[in-house]
Amino acid sequence: MMARLAARLTRDKADTLLLLLAALMVLLPHFRHLPWWASLTVCLALAWRGAITLRGSRLPPIWLLLPVSLLAMGGVYLDFRTLLGREPGVAMLALLLTFKLLEMHARRDLFVVIFLSFFLLLTNFFYSQTILTALNMSVTIVLLLAAQLTFQFTGVVPPLAARLRYAARIFFIAAPLGILLFIGFPRIQGPLWGLPGDANSGRSGMSDTMAPGSMSNLALSEEVAFRVRFNENAPPQQLLYWRGPVLSEYDGRTWSRVGRPLEFREALQLRKNMHLSGSPWSYEVTLEPVTRQYLFTLEMGGPDINSEFRTGYTDEMESLFRSPPGQRVRYSHAAYPAYRLQPSASPGLLQRWLKLPAGFNPRTLEYAERLRTLRAEKGDLAAVTDVLDLFRRGFTYTLEPTRLGRDAMDEFLFDTRLGFCEHYASAFVYLMRGAGLPARVVTGYQGGELNPVDGYFTVRQSDAHAWAEVWMGPAHGWKRIDPTAAVAPERIRTSLGQTLPEAAPFGLQGLADLGRDQDSWLGKLRFSLSAMNNAWNQWILDYNPKRQQHFLSELGAAMADWRLLAILPCLALAMFARKLRFQRAPDPVDAAFAAFCRQLARHGVERAPHEGPLSLEQRVRQLKLPPEKIAAMTGFLELYGAIKYGAGPTDNPVARLKSLLKQTR
Amino acid sequence: MADRWLFQLKDAEPGEVQLVMRRVFILPTRPGLAFVGLLLVMLVGSVNYNLGLGFVLTFFTGSCAIVDMVMTARNLSMLHLAPGRAQPVFAGDEAQFELHIRNSTPRSRYGIWLGFKDEGEPRQAVDVLAGSSAALVLSRPTRERGWLAAPRVRLFTRFPLGLFGAWSYWQPDLRVLVYPQPEIGAPPLPTTGAASEDGIGTVGLDNFSGIRNYQPGDPMRHLAWRQIARLHPDDGGQLVSKNFEGGAVADLLLDLANLPPLLDIEIRLARLAAWVLEAERRALPYALTVGHRHFELSLGETHCGNCLRALALYGKEAP
Repeated sequence: MMARLAARLTRDKADTLLLLLAALMVLLPHFRHLPWWASLTVCLALAWRGAITLRGSRLPPIWLLLPVSLLAMGGVYLDFRTLLGREPGVAMLALLLTFKLLEMHARRDLFVVIFLSFFLLLTNFFYSQTILTALNMSVTIVLLLAAQLTFQFTGVVPPLAARLRYAARIFFIAAPLGILLFIGFPRIQGPLWGLPGDANSGRSGMSDTMAPGSMSNLALSEEVAFRVRFNENAPPQQLLYWRGPVLSEYDGRTWSRVGRPLEFREALQLRKNMHLSGSPWSYEVTLEPVTRQYLFTLEMGGPDINSEFRTGYTDEMESLFRSPPGQRVRYSHAAYPAYRLQPSASPGLLQRWLKLPAGFNPRTLEYAERLRTLRAEKGDLAAVTDVLDLFRRGFTYTLEPTRLGRDAMDEFLFDTRLGFCEHYASAFVYLMRGAGLPARVVTGYQGGELNPVDGYFTVRQSDAHAWAEVWMGPAHGWKRIDPTAAVAPERIRTSLGQTLPEAAPFGLQGLADLGRDQDSWLGKLRFSLSAMNNAWNQWILDYNPKRQQHFLSELGAAMADWRLLAILPCLALAMFARKLRFQRAPDPVDAAFAAFCRQLARHGVERAPHEGPLSLEQRVRQLKLPPEKIAAMTGFLELYGAIKYGAGPTDNPVARLKSLLKQTR
Repeated sequence: MADRWLFQLKDAEPGEVQLVMRRVFILPTRPGLAFVGLLLVMLVGSVNYNLGLGFVLTFFTGSCAIVDMVMTARNLSMLHLAPGRAQPVFAGDEAQFELHIRNSTPRSRYGIWLGFKDEGEPRQAVDVLAGSSAALVLSRPTRERGWLAAPRVRLFTRFPLGLFGAWSYWQPDLRVLVYPQPEIGAPPLPTTGAASEDGIGTVGLDNFSGIRNYQPGDPMRHLAWRQIARLHPDDGGQLVSKNFEGGAVADLLLDLANLPPLLDIEIRLARLAAWVLEAERRALPYALTVGHRHFELSLGETHCGNCLRALALYGKEAP
């Protein structure tokens, strides 16, 4: 069908349609983020261009095209309120390419279209850089090359399939060189100039406030928050607490953070007031790009974070970037299994973590008063276990709790008793503060899924968690207490996704759950995919100057290995052999003739370039040589002439030629 | 001359010439330079926005351009070039140089432009498929008589992607003999006093006495083509011959020395050329003396060619 269609089209039309197809391939991925009217304009204009090509009518005149494109530009301005910046820029480029297709007159315009397409292909990476995008990019490059190639033919044009093969050949020959350039080309750490504000409109990730519902929103997202690789052994699942923002301020509804970055001197002081012991776990985190500036570190480690971006540390042990990096970031850190945090904090300082909003939750405060008495009688720990016991009895862990009113703590503790980690953590901290114990909410992630394929832990947004930290006196300092663990201990031992009640076993949800079972083949596939994605992120998307330096030095070390040194000469030999093979062995007839000519030259008969066997024969007859030699020579020439120019003798002429050659000597 | 050294311009090479890689030169075209600019912009964009895949795209397309460079050079290299035939022409006509391109490699070559080096942009394109050969004719106007050697030929190609242009020079061992331009409005054929062996009569237009039916044995030159053309075969059309009366013909002796010496030598040669052609047309045997070269009384293509050749080369170095 395609072949028939192609045969009906003239060469020019088929060429233009190929170019249109390539342009469409470039524009298609942009439809996801272009304004709807821009996508529509692009589609209509491409269809128009296709109709013009098929019907062979003329391109639209400039007086029609110019207002239309100006109108489109105005549309971009109205939509984005600016013409600068990334999003309007991409929209403008897409429209420009479309209108340029309608205004193609010279060979130059063709190159403009193809170059524009290449650039537009690049802009798509603002939005997506997955493996699929890369595959799509490869196909599009081949199509663009085929279109570019097509316009270079002057006479014979091979069929489309042959041209596509030719373009693919160029691409695959170029691929090793491209990979070498990718690895070895000196990299500079961007950005080179200030990025426009919309450069990193990525995911928001974990927030620095906690209002009802903020955690459960995250919990539904399977997006990867970060990946971790432990250098040696990894801590058990229930100790994987990834500390993020610490929330100490409560206004009756929302928890928010107050921590401030430490000065150098303060950091030194904090370090003295922080006792870490046990054998450390050192690990490296690859944080997915987010717009916020928090780092997540395994509890509990010091302020020593090794990253290419500047980081800071707050008086509440939060780690943060000086400015949001807006890209994938790697950092390494070490955590200790046992710690005592700020045991010698002064009571004045601790006041900050005792504040409660006035006029809320009378019933909760009443319970807190009872806890205070308990604390005075039996110690801090008794108060803590009392609350945890309360949670253990009759509280339910759910992602969809009932909405709470003004006195949220009262309703949660005494009426609904349905909640999620944020409810438990905030109620616990509230009670502790009411009982006179300094306490705060710590948010972050809990757990992580070990990928057996590449040994990375994947921490997803659904692992978001909130827990409490209580100051238990000078003997202990700040202690982590996870009230959720009292309600749903399996939440801590495994990951959240598995804690939630089973969904319907049928349909898509059932399918998705299949993948959670680690032993099913789907589960294995999921791990392989995840490992592939991680490798992609680590090696393609996040191959930065530092990584390059590291890799090249490793490569250099590997190259110094004697085995590789031995391989290189072998490679060179193989290439030489290949070259030899490609130098075709000379035709035996030609070789014999060349030998004969050299012999004649010794007798003083130099063959002129235009001379054939017949004229040579005449000259040979005049030589003063024994007659049998002359006869052999003329016989040779006659046979040579018959082989080369005659119908060709059948009875092994080459052997006869060689024997005659011998006789002439 | 710098050009000569840089591009290894050689004198005419006899026989078939193979374009080895050393004879092929290459530079980016204007789109190629624009492409370099595009690559730079893409690289800066990738650095600035930290686009890992952007680097991949930039480096891969850059590599494609490099592959294109090699392919463009290889599109020209290892071609065999050979001169073809060249027919003599009259001055003022276009000299036609036939050239052969042979491709003995398994790679088809597309989009090869040929032209004379001193004429700027090549005008003719040719494809040489794998294992085949192609012939093409380059023409060039002639002005003066004598030998005209083929000018240096420039081969140029942008295939496959048009980002690079490769070229090579070749001086074909080919020349065209340019006859003098026959004088327009030349005086009538000169009659000499010298009588033919039959003795009587002079040659003139008057001797043409009409046409008659063709008879076997009539010389081809006497066929009355114009009349033959008018007669439709269905109307009993047949061959007719011109009839010449008298049969007494004074010998036509053309001699450069007999022309007024005051005339420019070129005009004299032109007049002789015109007369030779006129005599051929009328099928009158003629003899020609140019300087010390003499051609006996005769008629026919070979004789005509010899005479014109002598006129073309008069005063020029011997062929």
